[in-house]
Amino acid sequence: MPDLQVLHIHQARLNITWAGNNGDYPDPVPFDISDGEIRNIAAEAIRTGYVPGIQADVRVNLADFVVDRFGATAEVPWNRIFLRPKTPFGSR
Amino acid sequence: MAAGVVIVGVGALGSHLVLWARNWPARIKIVDYDRVEQKNLLAQFHTRMGLGKNKAQALQQAMQGMFGTRLEAVPHRLSEDNAEVLLGGGDLVVDCTDNAATRRVIQVSVRRLGLPCVHGALSADGGFARVVWDELFVVDEEGSEGAATCENGEALAFFALAAAHLAGAVQRFLATGERRSCQITPTTVTRIA
Repeated sequence: MPDLQVLHIHQARLNITWAGNNGDYPDPVPFDISDGEIRNIAAEAIRTGYVPGIQADVRVNLADFVVDRFGATAEVPWNRIFLRPKTPFGSR
Repeated sequence: MAAGVVIVGVGALGSHLVLWARNWPARIKIVDYDRVEQKNLLAQFHTRMGLGKNKAQALQQAMQGMFGTRLEAVPHRLSEDNAEVLLGGGDLVVDCTDNAATRRVIQVSVRRLGLPCVHGALSADGGFARVVWDELFVVDEEGSEGAATCENGEALAFFALAAAHLAGAVQRFLATGERRSCQITPTTVTRIA
């Protein structure tokens, strides 16, 4: 959970999923950062083992990953960005 | 009168969802045009007795035989032409389909009909899932042709885990109206809303 004292209204918490694991990037990121920049930040963080809950992986490839953005709500009063694998399936 | 729930797609996710749906206070309709194949037995809640049968009808018979659960089976492909007939009249739509085109048909239809809808979606490697209510859901395009799919049985337990979370989201909605979305890995559940 982010420290609301330091998470600015234009910043967001970045949540990353990679290789079946999931964790929050330790630092706030700008909410309007581009998808490409998010992938770069996340890839570097995964390579170096900077994301709690995700083991360091030098083979990380996030090119096909999706960025979801959710603005602050009454229930979750901070902006959130999720970087995750595509989920096209549910059936076959 | 019990709520009407329409589940579209009873493959890896939808078939397991039906297993966990048997105690819902609801009338359940399941829609799927596909047939049960041998390979489906590895990753889906379908049995050898259903081989060659329509998935919706095979699951209807299995649930009736095992638990006495009564389901309405619709052995047709959901399309723009029949979506409003198949989805309308219910109180909730659950999307467990496997392609972007059908998901878009569902999304357009439920928004037009004003129906609540929750989407269940899996990644190609079967190691990540989302349970997302329609107001937050963006349809992902399929990956490149020849990409891995979750057909083998390695992710069977994860499919059941994802289906259980989806069933819980529906049950919570039926009981309280709350729409809780989350994303799931084999080791974590992260609430989105």
